[in-house]
Amino acid sequence: MTPDGGIRAQGVRRSFGPVHAVADVDLVAAPGRVTALIGPNGSGKTTLLLMLAGLLTPDAGVISIAGADPVTQNYAARSRTGWMPDVFGTWDSLTAREVLTTVAAAYRLDAAAGRARASELLALVHLSELADQPAHVLSRGQKQRLGLARALVHDPDVLLLDEPASGLDPRSRVDLRVLVRRLAAEGKTVLVSSHVLTELDEMADDAVFISGGRTVATQSVADADRPREWRLTGLDPEALTAWLDQNGPAYRKEPDAPGVLVELTGDAAAAALLRSVVEAGVDVSSLAPSGGVLEQTYLALEEERR
Amino acid sequence: MSVDVEVVGATPPPAGAPAERGTWSLSWHGLRTVTVLELRQRVRSTRWKAALLVWFLVVGLITLLTTGAFSALMGSGDEPFGGMVYSIVVGFVLFLGLLVAPTLSSGAINGDRNAGTLATLQVTLLSPAEIVLGKLAAAWVAALAFLVASIPFLVWALAGGGVHWLALITTVLMLALVLGVVCAIGLGFSALVGKTSGSAVLTYLTVGGITAVLPIMFGLLGPVTTTTEGVRVWDVEPGYTWEETTPPECEWQTHEIDVWHSERTWWLLAPNPFVVVADAQPLADDTDSLGEDGNLLAALQYGVRYARTGDSGPQDWCSTMTMDGTSPDSPVEPVQVTDQLVWPWGLGFDLLLGAAGVVIAVNRLRVPTGELPRGTRVA
Repeated sequence: MTPDGGIRAQGVRRSFGPVHAVADVDLVAAPGRVTALIGPNGSGKTTLLLMLAGLLTPDAGVISIAGADPVTQNYAARSRTGWMPDVFGTWDSLTAREVLTTVAAAYRLDAAAGRARASELLALVHLSELADQPAHVLSRGQKQRLGLARALVHDPDVLLLDEPASGLDPRSRVDLRVLVRRLAAEGKTVLVSSHVLTELDEMADDAVFISGGRTVATQSVADADRPREWRLTGLDPEALTAWLDQNGPAYRKEPDAPGVLVELTGDAAAAALLRSVVEAGVDVSSLAPSGGVLEQTYLALEEERR
Repeated sequence: MSVDVEVVGATPPPAGAPAERGTWSLSWHGLRTVTVLELRQRVRSTRWKAALLVWFLVVGLITLLTTGAFSALMGSGDEPFGGMVYSIVVGFVLFLGLLVAPTLSSGAINGDRNAGTLATLQVTLLSPAEIVLGKLAAAWVAALAFLVASIPFLVWALAGGGVHWLALITTVLMLALVLGVVCAIGLGFSALVGKTSGSAVLTYLTVGGITAVLPIMFGLLGPVTTTTEGVRVWDVEPGYTWEETTPPECEWQTHEIDVWHSERTWWLLAPNPFVVVADAQPLADDTDSLGEDGNLLAALQYGVRYARTGDSGPQDWCSTMTMDGTSPDSPVEPVQVTDQLVWPWGLGFDLLLGAAGVVIAVNRLRVPTGELPRGTRVA
């Protein structure tokens, strides 16, 4: 990672009157990687993204977007940022194509380039067939896809996606994931906020957890050295627990499920455990990670908060 | 997808990066983008087309009724009644315009903010000035559409005679400017206030203020600006009784009388849109025809000019009391209303109000935002 690229935010704060929407956030998102921004409702994700998008002045802290400070070099920062808000209106009486050509014009593309770019993006988000329909006939998910296309019009270096997956059907979610991965592979910095943690598991490289307006944890999704819980299920649960009592690692029983949860570090440890259980003659029907990495971290953080 | 993989290096912004553009930078391209966007949305809402049609019918109906009424009144005489019809039609167009123009712009910014479409424009490379002036241009074009729809009736009234064709040009020009000012005021309020209904009310109050409240203040200030002073009067000789058959000998006397110094407060009338429109037409040379012609605009113009003239010096109380009402040897000059224009002051004031609206709106759209109006969110 080069010092200039990506998103850096340090000690960012913003309050609205007495409400401290963002109290102290540190965040680094590297070019070529997808960073997930995770937090409960009202934790300040959207406010943070507004500041990163250059729409809101932070009360304190330093932000750098692709090397530009959105406060002092707002125009330069805006020109390199693509922002997809969580709730957004569309110009309802315009067609999908007109929405994109208008945005292209607003990004100072000339008319011909804007038209070409609009067609390209409509194909990318699978809206070509609806291109000349007024935007108000689009469904929520289709509008969401149009919003994503809108954020990509000027080919930004930094993408800020606020809940991009909400309202999307399964097919579109897969498309979104593929697209986001491709954009990251092209060297762009992608920051995605979402509640759908399993979704982010497959999409994100890094994760930043915020809660109550503060950064509470940062984590790499691909971090193999972190212990996580696996779910182990046997044909005969009692034989399994008996074996684990004697030989295995610590486990805990799930309340309403036949399996047990075991904390393991890395895939190799899982493979080793599976081999020894099977060799001991205990019939195992499944061994799989229980929930996503992000979900586990998130729930653990929630636990701490209580 | 032609995504160029940009080499994100330590080098400062690449050569192709746009130069920094500030809040007030303007480009034709940016202005046109916003104006076209706004107009497209407006034109596609059928409500607006219906409004234009209703407007056309209402103005047409008023013209027809006025023409009919005055044709009947005047009988088959040759006297031109165009002046009356013209001034009534212009008055109604202005009145309706002042009612419609605030609705065209007073929801332009807070409406977009509530619909969540404002921020999507603000993050683009459009400057706040381009967004505001583009919206103003769109609202003004819409207002001008109403004006254009009324021009046939103005021309029709002009054909009735009695009004100089030049008056049509000044009238339409002033109407256009006044409507533009109202749009700009509405835009300013729509940036200040969160709710569209609130900004509409404030715009109406402001327009009502300059149209009605200031003239009322002019009237109320009458007693304050009236002073008792000695005025030279060309009066009848003392002891002259009106039973005598010989005309009185006139002489100079000094009387203590009340003089209204309206020249000190005339400027309260100037911002009134009706005054601006009326005063901008060429001043009639012949004040006697004012009454006969019934041109209300010309009468209004004469009135404000008279107010600006104010204290007219010596008065003639003698000549008017002779039988024939004229006295060729009267040393008192007949009152000549000033040829100093009133409308540039009024229009100037109105334009300043409009400019203030634009400045406020641009400052409110500055990104990144520090302060937010209460009850609003950025997106």
